[in-house]
Amino acid sequence: MAKESGVLLQVDKMKTVFQTQSGYIEAVNGISFHIKKGETVAIVGESGSGKSVSAMSILRLLEKSGKVSSGRILFKDINLNELSDEEIRKVRGKEIAMIFQDPMSCLDPVYTIGDQIIEAIKIHEDLPKKEYYSRAVELLQLVGLPDAKARMSIYPHQLSGGQRQRVMIAIALACRPNLIIADEPTTALDVTVQAQIMELLKKLQTELGTAIILVTHDLGVVAEMADRVVVVYAGQVVEESNVIDLFNKPEHPYTEALLQSVPRIETNKNERLMAIKGSVPSLYDMPTGCRFHPRCPYASEICRQEEPPLMNLGENHYSKCWIKEKDIKKVMQNVNHNEQEDIEIIDSPHFGKHQNKKILEVHGLKKYFPITKGFFSRTVGYVRAVDGLSFDIHEGETLGLVGESGCGKSTSGRLITSLLKPTGGSVTFNGQDISRINRHALKKVRQRIQFVFQDPYSTLNPRMTVGDIIGEPLEVHRLVKGTEKYARIVELLETVGLTRNDIQKFPHQFSGGQRQRIGIARALATEPDLLICDEAVSALDVSVQAQILNLLRDLQQKLGLSYLFISHDLNVVKYISHRVCVMYLGEIVEIADSEVLFQNPLHPYSQALISAVPIPDPEGKSERIILEGEVPSPSNPPSGCKFHTRCLIATDTCQTQQPDLKEVSPGHKVACHNY
Amino acid sequence: MIGYIFKRLLYGILVVLIMVTFVFVLMRSVPGDVVTLQLAEAGSVSEEQVDEMKSQLGLDKSIGIQLVVWLTNAVQGDLGNSLWSAQPVVNLIVERLPVTLELTFFSVILAIIIGIPIGVLSAVKHNSFIDHILRVTAVGGLSIPNFWLGLIILLVLSLVFNWIPPLGFKSFSENPIVNFQQMVFPALVLAVTLSASIIRMTRSALLEVLHTDFIRTIRSKGAKERVVIYKHALRNSLVSVITLIGIQIGTLLGGTVVLETIFSLPGLGSLIFESVTIRDYPIVQASVLTFGTMFLLVNLVVDVMYGWIDPRIRNN
Amino acid sequence: MQELQTVEKVILKENTKMFQFKENCRRFIRSNPIGTISIGFILLVILISVLAPIIAPYDPVLQNRQSILIGPNGTHILGTDELGRDVFSRIVYGSRISLLVGFSAVVFSMIFGIFFGVVSGYFGGVIDMIVQRIMDAIMSIPSLILALFIAALLGPAIQNVIIALVIVETPRFARIVRGEMLRIRETNYVEASRSIGSSVFRIIWKHAIPNMGAPIIVLASLAFGQSIIAEASLSFLGIGTPPPNPSWGLMLSDASRFMETAPWLVLFPGLALALCVLAFNLLGDALRDFLDPKISSKK
Repeated sequence: MAKESGVLLQVDKMKTVFQTQSGYIEAVNGISFHIKKGETVAIVGESGSGKSVSAMSILRLLEKSGKVSSGRILFKDINLNELSDEEIRKVRGKEIAMIFQDPMSCLDPVYTIGDQIIEAIKIHEDLPKKEYYSRAVELLQLVGLPDAKARMSIYPHQLSGGQRQRVMIAIALACRPNLIIADEPTTALDVTVQAQIMELLKKLQTELGTAIILVTHDLGVVAEMADRVVVVYAGQVVEESNVIDLFNKPEHPYTEALLQSVPRIETNKNERLMAIKGSVPSLYDMPTGCRFHPRCPYASEICRQEEPPLMNLGENHYSKCWIKEKDIKKVMQNVNHNEQEDIEIIDSPHFGKHQNKKILEVHGLKKYFPITKGFFSRTVGYVRAVDGLSFDIHEGETLGLVGESGCGKSTSGRLITSLLKPTGGSVTFNGQDISRINRHALKKVRQRIQFVFQDPYSTLNPRMTVGDIIGEPLEVHRLVKGTEKYARIVELLETVGLTRNDIQKFPHQFSGGQRQRIGIARALATEPDLLICDEAVSALDVSVQAQILNLLRDLQQKLGLSYLFISHDLNVVKYISHRVCVMYLGEIVEIADSEVLFQNPLHPYSQALISAVPIPDPEGKSERIILEGEVPSPSNPPSGCKFHTRCLIATDTCQTQQPDLKEVSPGHKVACHNY
Repeated sequence: MIGYIFKRLLYGILVVLIMVTFVFVLMRSVPGDVVTLQLAEAGSVSEEQVDEMKSQLGLDKSIGIQLVVWLTNAVQGDLGNSLWSAQPVVNLIVERLPVTLELTFFSVILAIIIGIPIGVLSAVKHNSFIDHILRVTAVGGLSIPNFWLGLIILLVLSLVFNWIPPLGFKSFSENPIVNFQQMVFPALVLAVTLSASIIRMTRSALLEVLHTDFIRTIRSKGAKERVVIYKHALRNSLVSVITLIGIQIGTLLGGTVVLETIFSLPGLGSLIFESVTIRDYPIVQASVLTFGTMFLLVNLVVDVMYGWIDPRIRNN
Repeated sequence: MQELQTVEKVILKENTKMFQFKENCRRFIRSNPIGTISIGFILLVILISVLAPIIAPYDPVLQNRQSILIGPNGTHILGTDELGRDVFSRIVYGSRISLLVGFSAVVFSMIFGIFFGVVSGYFGGVIDMIVQRIMDAIMSIPSLILALFIAALLGPAIQNVIIALVIVETPRFARIVRGEMLRIRETNYVEASRSIGSSVFRIIWKHAIPNMGAPIIVLASLAFGQSIIAEASLSFLGIGTPPPNPSWGLMLSDASRFMETAPWLVLFPGLALALCVLAFNLLGDALRDFLDPKISSKK
């Protein structure tokens, strides 16, 4: 790439290696990109792609075992890679600043936020003491923290996640750097707060003209924020382009597949997602030739043998692929053709589910956790995690449960399976009230309701083999024994796409997606009627997420399962669910058929939530409703309508009277005084 | 914060009560009670003598009543009398306690002065040659039995330097120089084990903190490594180090028994040892409880220091 | 055919677990030279104590008025004590006492500790409250002082030293097991097992105990060293192992009276003691490094 005018940072064939017990491993293998003044460049990739390591490499903030082994990092014509420790220290914060992912752990817990902002100024600038203070207050005002002066003497733990991320941004801006590197700045935040922070970053960029390198896995955020995009896979840049071209005509098969594997709000529910087979390769075991070839549908002999160069396709569009454009189209038609067939097979028994019999009825379900205080653990109040929940699930149906963190959606799942005892209300399963039954009867019910958990890494006992894990429910319920058991385990493994050979392996020998398959196999062992999927795909990379979503849908078709699908990800919920409940502070605010809800949300919270989701389409930016503040604490919920503190159309009635869940059209219920 | 201290204090009192009960029950449930043991020393005894003695000491009542009586007296400062000298136990303890306190204080300060800087060095030079040497040294320090080290020091002092600490204990106010000569070596021996623990804890806590996200934030601001380590990382590791000191004070207090005996210091530790050998149970019991209370008080101070170091605890 | 599969399965499984164990041993030896040396040393000490009658040249309690306080020489390689007993033979036999006390104290306190810890951690509530307060109270008394107190009440005998040490060490195990239990109780795999319908017993036996091995093993190794020191300290103070048994602590106690004339009496038993404790402490450290998932996951 020739040097262009206005280039602020030019990274050239950068390699980053880590020293491990088994020698050096390459996390970044010759990445090149550049960024101009005032521009936003997104580096996008899945976990293990080397995107974060690249970002850390620029300012040499890697762990001790890691270092940039070759390549140049030119910032204003200075090679940062050749600077001494003392010299690079003077660049950090002053010229280039960073924002990190998890605002909860990124601030020093023992100093006030005022101290921490002042420290950032003090390191690089020598000012009179009073000026530090006033500068810090200005910065807090700039990032939109209300009551900035009072906030100066507050400690990080007294702030919410969104507020802490604002403080992080204030620290990054302390010395007015020319470039900010933001590593997944909104990933740990709720979607409504994410919308606030993205808005803030955009506003600050316009005001201050700062360039931003945005490292993220979220294509929605990319479309929303970036001017140009660099796609990385297995430590290499596979495609670089301006944002509009990238989304409209992706050139690299990986980019293309990535874009198709994310369910979008407008994705047709009856289509299977295009999943990328396999998973991201391990750094210890890189494929030869093109690193994507084992997962690529178009791979040919040359891909296996030789690594393709980053080819210039004109208009600053580069792709690291041997295959020419027309080839792609040809192969793609083939692939799509196959997909079509799949859909037809799958789709036929899909309709008319709502007339089926109710399998689960939840009525007025409540869970209050006591807050204890003092020496004798007096109960001084309650966290109202779930506060009067009612819904039904029909046979063969998927009901989605969405909401932000703390809305009680996960607690609800645990209440239904009696993993937690409800404070009030009833759960009726197949006509039997299961919220107050004895242990023996409960055990029977647990055969019929199974759970798929969020984190596939921690739900499998690390000291048990896969065979033992999947066999456990069979043993507990004394269903089958001996060879029959073995045969059943093999059958289950094959159902979820694993093989007989996996039976004696331990969980750590599998990738995240495979572990989630094991979790699903365990859940299916007792042939249940209802699966509760609690954020079942949230911990997975998008390409793997699509595999699991497809698997869940196939299983539903084949076995006639019902799902309660709990998630914070609206796109996923919309894709997989027939009907959706929106929860806020332990209550359902709206419930409707999924198509209806996403096209015509009625509750102001549902409207804001749906509009806050970043859309992976750079041209389709719609008007966004940005809520103020964050979800209040469920230990002290607002009076009346719990949403009134953040609602843009709240009236006096909303402050005092709690709205009922009213049916406004058949199957569409909403809890709002405006309807 | 005050509520928090109050809560810790109440909790400490509860633990002391359980501890008293535990020690009391233990003493009374041992075969061969105090009276028989004591009278046995005097030669032949009759049943009446035993009974008389028992009622005199209140031992004929049930264990619960004895406990209540003992506690009521204890609150009023009466911990009973020595079986042998008939002196009030309280006086003996008040007389001996300052020596042990001085010794403990001395060794803790020494251990901190030695332990924290070496721990920091070891963490900063993580996995270097120096770090390996320091780690092995620290494990060595933990492994040397302190009474053996005390003996070796005495041996070296007398054989090589031809010097032994002055006999006849002098308190600090009486003669600071002699007092120092008498205190420094036992304090040093006690400090060896504690400083070895402090080195290890400082090292591992600091390493852990140095890998956290907020340290990366501070580095990304451009802070000097010195600021990163001393202002941020060390302060965040202090909670673990102080917790450790609180726990290890127990080991240190136990060590005073042996070292006071070896170095002939008239402290609480040697009092326990002397009373155990002559089976003067009221003294043993009271001393054990004094040690327990001291330990709890130290940990109360530790709790208060948490709040001072970590605002999250302070505000909770 | 199906039976063949079962057999195949069993063999495969055994192979895997055996293989895992061997693989772990290999990895431990490769990554932990110091730990390997410690294990070697401990095995050597065990061997010495078992073969004591063969190794020791003299009867450890045999007094010999003709050879009192003789320094190390050809016939008595580590010299003799004030009663003319051979120091080397006494040290060799002394290893039996140290290992016996250390082993019994650790095994029993581990068993009690796991019991109280599991009960306290799994059930919580009032049981937990009561157990924890008692454990706190025991731990508030400095361990050596408590051991001294108990041993003094019970009278000097090896089994009484062991009882005292078990009472002192049990709360440490209980606390760590309780902590692990609380952690494991909240893990997703336990929740998963509960959602399947597993019984409490199954969860504790199949999920909790196998997964709390690492910290318990590390603590056991460190507690072994501590118990050896405690036994020696008690014997040194004259309330542990009764004479004429050749306990290292007792030997040091006798030696302290003849320190200046016979320094070897202080040196050698202490050295034996310190080396043993060092080996257990180093082993504990090596195990901690090896079993720590943060480090081992990198492999």
